[in-house]
This record gives sequence, C-alpha cells and structure tokens, in this order.
Amino acid sequence: MRRVAVIGVGQSLYGVRSDVTMQELAWEAVKEALEDAGVTQRDVDISVVGNVGTRGYELMPAQPVNDYIGMTPKGPIRVEMACATGLVALTVGYNLIASGSAEVVLAVGVEKMTEVDTPTSLAVGGRAGNYLWEFHFYGTTMPAGYALYATAHMAKFGTTEEHMALVAVKNHYYGSLNPKAHFQHTVTVEEVLKSRPIAWPIKLLDSSPISDGTAAAILASEDAVRKYKIDTPVWIAGIGYANDTPLLTRRKDYTTFQATRLAAEMAYKKAGIEPRDVEVANVHDAFTIAEIIAYEDLGFVKKGEGPKLIAEGQTYAGGKVAVNIDGGLKAKGHPLGATGLGMIYELTKQLREERSGPRQAPLKKYIALAHNVAGVGPVSYVVVLRR
Amino acid sequence: MSTRKYTKIEGPTIDSVPLIYKHKIPIQKTYKFWEGLKEGKIFATRCKKCGRIYFPPQADCSDDFSSDMEWVELPKFGVLEAFTKVYARPQGFDDVDPYVIGIATLENGVRVMGWVDPPDEKCVKVGNRVELTIRVIKDRHIIYLRDLSCT
Repeated sequence: MRRVAVIGVGQSLYGVRSDVTMQELAWEAVKEALEDAGVTQRDVDISVVGNVGTRGYELMPAQPVNDYIGMTPKGPIRVEMACATGLVALTVGYNLIASGSAEVVLAVGVEKMTEVDTPTSLAVGGRAGNYLWEFHFYGTTMPAGYALYATAHMAKFGTTEEHMALVAVKNHYYGSLNPKAHFQHTVTVEEVLKSRPIAWPIKLLDSSPISDGTAAAILASEDAVRKYKIDTPVWIAGIGYANDTPLLTRRKDYTTFQATRLAAEMAYKKAGIEPRDVEVANVHDAFTIAEIIAYEDLGFVKKGEGPKLIAEGQTYAGGKVAVNIDGGLKAKGHPLGATGLGMIYELTKQLREERSGPRQAPLKKYIALAHNVAGVGPVSYVVVLRR
Repeated sequence: MSTRKYTKIEGPTIDSVPLIYKHKIPIQKTYKFWEGLKEGKIFATRCKKCGRIYFPPQADCSDDFSSDMEWVELPKFGVLEAFTKVYARPQGFDDVDPYVIGIATLENGVRVMGWVDPPDEKCVKVGNRVELTIRVIKDRHIIYLRDLSCT
C-alpha cells in the first residue's frame, strides 16, 4: 500500500444558504481546495462526490456536481453513508491512491438540507437505520435515537443534563471564534438547560443544526506530493471502520457505540499509536451526549468517565485532548455529506498550525483524529492524520 | 442572554415540481407478525437449525444459511433499558401528542421498541418493569410498554 497525503482542503461557510444551489455550493470548497494544493482539475485523476441527498431535488447528485466543479470528463464516484458520508468519500479516495489506481483524487462532500422544512427533515433523518421496524411504528427521529443512549448513559453512569450542556458551551465557544461556523455565538449552561425539548433529555441547544455546507480535500501519492512541491503534506496514517446493526433493539448496550470502538481500534493499530497520542480531534457530536460517549469509545477516557472529562474542561485546547475546537457539528454545523471532510479541513489546518490564539491546539506529536458516524451509530469511521 | 450570531444567507427561490412517494411494502414473509398484532400478540421468528430468535422477525437466518424458521410468541413483560420523549415530531406524526419511545428487554432476552405509557418522562425510569400491550393508533397496531411503576 502506498502512502497518501492530504495536500489541499476547502470548506464553505456552513449555515442556511438559500443563496446557492448544491452545485454552486460545492464549487466554493473545491475551488479553495484546488488553490490550497496549487493544482487544477487537469491534475486530478478522479473525483469522489459525497452526498446523502435524501432531502434534495437533485436525486442523482454526483453528475451535476461533478460537471459544475469542472471535473468532466473524470469521475465521479458517488458515495452515500448517511452522516458518515464525508469520511467514506475520503476513504474511497485514499484507497484509489494507496492501491496505485490514481495519483491525485478530489473528495468533495456537499449537502443542501434547508430546502425542505424541519418536519420533513426529521422524517427523512428518522428513516435512517431501518424504516419498517422503527420509524413506521414509532416515529423515531435522529435526536430520539441519541436520546435513548442519553437516558441509558444517565442511568448507568450518573451523567446529567448539565454535563451535556457543558459540551454545547464548549463547542459554541469555538463556533464563536470560527467565521465559517453555522452558529458563531456562545451559550451558557443555563440557556442550554432552558432551551426547548426536542427529544428529552436532548434539547434544542444540545442538537447540531440542519445546515447547508460543503467541504473538500485533495489527496495525493508521495510521487504527487514531490511533483507538486507540497511543503506541508498531512499524511493519512490510518483509517478504521466498522458497523453495528442499524436495528436499535438488536444492540447490546445503549451506553456505547460498538462501531466506534472497533473503528478506533483499527485506526490506532494501522497508525501505530495509542489514544493518548491524539492531540486534537474532531468527533461526531451530532448531539452533546454523542461527544461524551465518543470520549469513552475513542479511548480518551475509561467507560463512564466522559462526563468527568468535559466537567474538568479537559477537551478545550490546552487540555488533555482538544476536541471540536472548530465548533464541531454542534456549532460549526452538520451538512451531512460535508461533515467528515469538514473535519479533515479543520484538522489539516490544525496540523499545519494555521490557526491562531485559542483556536490552535498546542501540538508536540502532530497527531489528529477525525470520527464520523452514520445515523445513530450503525457505521463509524475513524481517521488518524499526522504531519 | 448571549447575543445570537448565526449564518443565514438568503436569496430568491423558485418551487420544485413536487414528488410524492407512497410505497407498497411486502409483508408476505412476515405475515404472521402483522396478523398477530391484530390479536394482541407479538411474534418473532426462531431458526429451527440454530435456535436464534429474530426480532424484528426475519424469514432467513443469515448465520447458517437456513430459511427453516418457526414463529414464537414473545413474553408480555420486560424491563426498560432506555427511553426518550419526542417533542419535535416528524412529518407523519405531527398530529399526535408528544410520545415516549422506549426499548425493553423481555424475560427471554429479546428487546422490543414501543411507545411508553404513561408518556411522562418525569415518572418513567430506566430499570422499571413494563407490560406489553397493543393499541391501534391511526390504523397502525403499535406496541405499548406500560410502565408498571408509574401508572
């Protein structure tokens, strides 16, 4: 297997973006990523387009996107894995280069979510996993799925609504420092606790927003890194992936996501690192409880100690491990197909030390981790990056 | 109250041509389950070869490539493992009151999802015993988990 580097990244402003179509939006990230790498579409061998697309009017989105971003006649490969689409797109690109099929790949994730209303969005998201045996009867929604994990975690480990609120406070703080975030304001614990219930104990301010957005990464082989004279390549050191049954009633334990534990184990092994080596991470905080459980499943702390980690402020930059210091899904936003690549965008900037002040994680080992989950945990991807 | 600052860049829009999906879902291989609900019974399938119980029921056992399954009725009592009260309701459920979704482990270890009665998140607790019943809501037979500690 050949080594693969991230040589360019781009990300649009996340948020409500009724000023652009999906294709126009995608170009914002692709243009930035190509310029960042110093290459053009002519240098790219194939494109991978990540889009969940279930809310869009463009039902076969990869072709119009690929054409608009100037990639005709090369590509596209379309990828869909619900909310984990972004890191799956990265993985497909990685495999194309690692196997020798391509030298340079463009992976772009894009999502327009705000073209339909919120009840429609909830009904689409609620169909993730298994429509017939869950949504059809019980009207399960994405927040409801995570809320089931929240009540189980609360009952077993004494996790409280305040612990979850602290995650929102942290991620909104970083969102307030990120000019590309959907939410750029801070919140207090009291505001989170008083916000309206969505799926108790999950409240509005525990939830990631419904966002439009796009992110892209240019991947390259070692030969291409030399050819294009990339001075700070960020290497993909290991990718782990796993799944679990999408049927919630067939899961063994509602306080942990098996898919994330297995994916993390695989990624750490491939990268030859331990969880304690990770200095900056972007984890899948679709809801605040998900970040607390991710601390545990990724091995940053032992099972049940996630609430303590956030209560001690150890996941701010300068703490034990800096987590979601771009605002995370919670505040930066969660445009499904873009989310995983938006993590790669942020972590690449972190590893190149292009952030400043409180937005830059202090680095010694230059090791970062991205964690992207589909639905309520049935599929998990973990990517380790090194400078 | 902190100042709210969020991204909302709006422009003029036009309406798409509407597209309505209404699917015909095949139930032939799980027919007994659907009929059972009408009689107040909840059926699972069991692989005659390996004994694995499938719930939701499935017609094929992927463990040992067998489709020789038998129907077994599930026990009526269990313990609540997790629950949530859904306030933000999806399209299709917007005309019902906020509902509590729960997952219970039954006496034989099988887990089922259902709507919890009463729909009171202050009273319902993980670990409470529940009794399974069936009710008809909007022409659909719904499994209810009646919380025996808070009636």
